[in-house]
Amino acid sequence: MGNEYNTMARLLMRNASEHGQDIAMREKDRGIWMEITWADYAEQVINCAAGFAAIGVSPGDAVMILGDNRVRLYAGMLSLTMLRAYAMPAYSGASLQELQHFLAEAKVVAALVEDQEQVDNVIELRETGSDIASIIYDEPRGLNEYETSGLMSWDALLEKGRENLAANPELRTQLIEGSGPEDPGVFLHSSGTTGKPKGIVLSQKNAIEGAHNGYAGGAFDYGDEMMAYLPMAWAGDYALTVGAAITYRITVNVPERQDTVLRDMREIAPSIYLAAPRSWDNLLTTIQVGIENSTPLKKWLYHFFMDRSIASQRRKLNGESDGAFDGLGRMIGEWLIFGPIKDQFGLTRVKHAFTGGEAIGEDTFVFYRGLGIQLRQLYGQTETCAFTAIQTADEVQLHTVGKPLPGVEVEIADDGEILVRSQSVFAGYYNNPEASAEALEDGWLRTGDAGYVEDDGHLVVLGRLSEVVYTANGERYVPNYVENRLKFSPYIKDAAVVGSGRDQLTAMVCVDSEAVGHWAEVNGVPYVSYADLSQRPEVAELLNEAFKRVNKALTDGLQLHRYVSLHKEFDPDDGEITRTRKLRRKVVEERYSKVIDALYDGSKDVHVSAVVTYETGEAGSVDRTLLVREV
Amino acid sequence: MFYRLSGVRHNSYASDSKMFNIPADRNATVFFLLLGLAAPFVIPSLYLNSYVLPWLIWTAAALGLNLVTGWAGQLHLGYAAVMAVGAYSAVHAAKFGVPWEFALLIGGLASSVIGSLFAFTALRVKGLYLALTTLAMQFVMDWVLTHSPAIAGGSHASLQAPTFALLGQKITSDAGLYYVAFGWCVLVTIFMLNLKRTGLGRALVAVREKDFAAAILGVNSFYYKVVAFAASAFIAGITGALLVATFYFLAAPEQFTVSVSIQVLAMVIIGGLGSIIGSYFGAALILLMPGVVNQIFGWLANMLGLELGIETFAHIPNAAYGALIIIFLMVEPLGLGKLYANIRDYLMIWPFDQLKK
Repeated sequence: MGNEYNTMARLLMRNASEHGQDIAMREKDRGIWMEITWADYAEQVINCAAGFAAIGVSPGDAVMILGDNRVRLYAGMLSLTMLRAYAMPAYSGASLQELQHFLAEAKVVAALVEDQEQVDNVIELRETGSDIASIIYDEPRGLNEYETSGLMSWDALLEKGRENLAANPELRTQLIEGSGPEDPGVFLHSSGTTGKPKGIVLSQKNAIEGAHNGYAGGAFDYGDEMMAYLPMAWAGDYALTVGAAITYRITVNVPERQDTVLRDMREIAPSIYLAAPRSWDNLLTTIQVGIENSTPLKKWLYHFFMDRSIASQRRKLNGESDGAFDGLGRMIGEWLIFGPIKDQFGLTRVKHAFTGGEAIGEDTFVFYRGLGIQLRQLYGQTETCAFTAIQTADEVQLHTVGKPLPGVEVEIADDGEILVRSQSVFAGYYNNPEASAEALEDGWLRTGDAGYVEDDGHLVVLGRLSEVVYTANGERYVPNYVENRLKFSPYIKDAAVVGSGRDQLTAMVCVDSEAVGHWAEVNGVPYVSYADLSQRPEVAELLNEAFKRVNKALTDGLQLHRYVSLHKEFDPDDGEITRTRKLRRKVVEERYSKVIDALYDGSKDVHVSAVVTYETGEAGSVDRTLLVREV
Repeated sequence: MFYRLSGVRHNSYASDSKMFNIPADRNATVFFLLLGLAAPFVIPSLYLNSYVLPWLIWTAAALGLNLVTGWAGQLHLGYAAVMAVGAYSAVHAAKFGVPWEFALLIGGLASSVIGSLFAFTALRVKGLYLALTTLAMQFVMDWVLTHSPAIAGGSHASLQAPTFALLGQKITSDAGLYYVAFGWCVLVTIFMLNLKRTGLGRALVAVREKDFAAAILGVNSFYYKVVAFAASAFIAGITGALLVATFYFLAAPEQFTVSVSIQVLAMVIIGGLGSIIGSYFGAALILLMPGVVNQIFGWLANMLGLELGIETFAHIPNAAYGALIIIFLMVEPLGLGKLYANIRDYLMIWPFDQLKK
């Protein structure tokens, strides 16, 4: 890759001139996939950039991107790189406080939003004192009567852009050539499991080098197809849908709505599929529940082939060779069971399947390998533009995340922390020199993860450095690891394992309302609410099964003996988990301290009154007596 | 299991309304088409011309009746009469020296004219009354055929059809005749497959569901009923002509009696109203099953060493055949086509039982 293609704008123009008629993006609109070629896409991005320039976005300003994945929002993000401005995507479900925190960091002059709902959000932000001058929306429905100042449609913005381009002949070249590799690519945020999210600016160089590293590591190929359904504010989405897609001409498919993703996935049948462990777990639950409801014959066939395939995968991962009938079983199973299941979910063409963002449960991982999907772990941070290490297709081991990518150097600090150095590592937290100094040292990024490198070069990630804890007996464990094992059960949606400094481990679990609700329906278990359902003795039976299964895989010191099924699910609105559904351990342990005490003092039940934040922003409380169960 | 839908997507509404959206359906269709083309080389000519050929022709007839009964929802008990019009017109035209291509067309048009003329009067009434009126047409036609020597050649006479020829080539070989029937059946099937996708097809369905509701939608129900009668009569006419030209080789009034009308209607109902593949199944069941049941009983009687009287032997298969029809309709009142659709749905979501969308 020559130096001339070192910015998003130049790469985009390269794609437009060399492969102008190829499809850059597809977006589903009323059941039809609308296709946009690279040439059209580039033109749209330039017009948009000129439009932004016309409404006064200048270098160093920030534009908030608010909404679910849309082609126009992606185009807007790209156009801001041409202006050397910050594109600041936020989670579409983010609360007002979270958005205000973002606004306080940079000078946000405009917001590019998806629809009326998000326009309302921005108007509310204005009322609380922020001065976002312009609001540009994609979907005009419901916005006819709005008389807010600075509100304009996407088309109006492009029209302004066209006028601007016509008035200034120099502008086009200036937009394409004006930005450099060190200029901002995107303004993301750390997930904030331990505190307020920190601003992370990834430069264009970071994104492009990250993509090169990923390509060199075999993460994707030219001309792949992918779905853009992950939150735009997640680094994984940016790294793939923008960084890799522009650099390696990957066709990005945008689903019609968030709730049609499953069906749209099937229509696209992407060749790259990156999902957080949470999504893989959800899909697994869907498959398991679907099979559970199927006829005895199909159930039997499924278990016959699936169990064998999983067992054979396990043997393979343990380095043993295939049994005599493994290959045959896989072949017939593929035709009879695996293929049809993969087809239902649009996974037939997946060549590059990844899980990333946090550790995936071992059972989930092996399940998908057994299904014939070459699922691989991707290890990365927002700070490294998501690409740090990756498993290669034929070198998958359960406990490692693969070798560091070409172009990425990894070292282990004395305290066991993983250090990363690469062209894709960011330059420092935005306006936060203290945190930057803490995280960066001579270009080495302190990831905050504990781990080590094995003799064969594979990187092992143990978990967050702050999360590796010891029981009173000195047994070392990572709560996340145990939690993931629990979450393999379709009936457990979330789990929090406690036991640091105690003599044994205990857990708090949230049942999966859909799977358990369905199970209750089928088995005639009456319940009136989630809280009621969670305390049913029949449900406790289900959970006991899950715990017993997990206990089998744990060493003696780490056996789970007591647990509580919580009366509500963990919710990002309550701050118990992040928007990417990572557990905020501190918050949970604080909020449920009474429950934790009850888990250890031997009592049979515990009375809680939990604070619940409703969607309207009001807070209420729920009083409940939770039963402490013994396994 | 066989149906794979991943990657089936549409980037225009035209592509969304393709005839076969599912690859497996398209492949199956191509497979059966090739099988149909290869049939003369695979199937012994006795079976080819005494089973497969009539099956295909009767399927075309059933499809034609399905158009008016299954799509437009109008019960028609005089279908054989319309076929007779086509058959006699075509044979007379051919005897007069008109090439067969045009003779067939004349047959079809004559049927169409008589059929729609009749529809004009019959469609003033609805439902069972219409059914009775069409039955009247059947009897009128029977009477006309047996009482006008100019048409049928006399009360018990039959009319020899000239040797069938297309493009000046006489077609006498078994394979040749088979291909003619096959071609016609495919043509009618393609027409019916496309009918579903057109405004005409949708208008017919609207009329079927409730004619005055259709009128509120702006569909002129009388007009579309007449169109349905005319189009179905056209298919009936050519089918009748081909039946005589390639299978019976002579036209006689008893080939087009009321019982034939009832048989075609039975094919449509057992196959499934409005189902194309059902028409194939229905025709096969009604036409071929008696023979098959007969053989099975003969074989069983031999095996078990039963000495059955000729009388009994003639009646048991008939009873079994009747029972079979009842059983099929009890299992699936919507016909064999629906049975096929059920199996297809089952395999479509395999290995799940239902899918949450």
